[in-house]
Amino acid sequence: MHRDKQGIIEELLDLAMKTGKIKDREAVLKSIMDREQLMSTGLEKGIAIPHAKTMAADGMVMALGISKEGLDFQSADSQPSHLFFLLVAPSTAAGPNVQVLAQIARLTMNTAFRDSLKDAASPKAAFDIISKAEK
Amino acid sequence: MLPEGPAKKILIFVDGSEGCVTAAQYSIALSKKTGADVTALYVVNVHLLDELVKARIFVKIEEMDYEQDLEQDGKRYLNYIAELGKAKGVEIRTELIKGVVSKSVVDKIQEMGADLLVMGELDPVLSRTDTFHDEAELIFRKAKCSVLIVKNADYIERLYNALE
Repeated sequence: MHRDKQGIIEELLDLAMKTGKIKDREAVLKSIMDREQLMSTGLEKGIAIPHAKTMAADGMVMALGISKEGLDFQSADSQPSHLFFLLVAPSTAAGPNVQVLAQIARLTMNTAFRDSLKDAASPKAAFDIISKAEK
Repeated sequence: MLPEGPAKKILIFVDGSEGCVTAAQYSIALSKKTGADVTALYVVNVHLLDELVKARIFVKIEEMDYEQDLEQDGKRYLNYIAELGKAKGVEIRTELIKGVVSKSVVDKIQEMGADLLVMGELDPVLSRTDTFHDEAELIFRKAKCSVLIVKNADYIERLYNALE
């Protein structure tokens, strides 16, 4: 992964672009970076949740980035961030958007979940860990 | 003395899901048969927004922005349901309030003396944690009146369409 905040976000955004739900990459990037300017979405315990609500997306999209060694994301506890959940949602989906953010917050409160996701050996393994946690 | 019917005051829980539209259609059909008063309620989940601010996921200005969006969504859902009633000659009173969703619905049942709460299908329980956070699940468990979970959306839609 890239080592600076904008690079990390752009890498995740490029991944999200593959869904075809993002109509304007630059507009979404600007929304995410504008939000980061207000306060970093780098939380405690290695979690970062950069997000944006924008007219430039047709549906909700999430991309997950994992860094085993950790990266600086200007986190609340000044510790490196390991798990990056990028969420882009259309302006018309405030309800589902809030629910997804709350679900990420709940899942990442669990230390075992965070640790296993951080150590996931492949994208499929990461997907399986999340799916299992939701069951 | 026996009650006059199965329900005199129906409360529909509106959350913007397709299930709540089905619940509204069923309530309209029920009201046509029984003459029950119908109220539709949407709760802006300001508690969840507040939790996201406390978790530092939202900043204050974002919370306000999302609250406005949720309020507008709620008004739109309620208007749609009121129109469904109007099309079949059933007046549906609508209410939008802000708070903890489950508590607000349970309190509203008490306040208006509702004897039947009608809601859409519950989501399949995903995890034990969700059982404690899913608002519809909490309402179902805590409501002090009878609760009707409406299923089979295709059949209910046909039932609604057949109403005069």
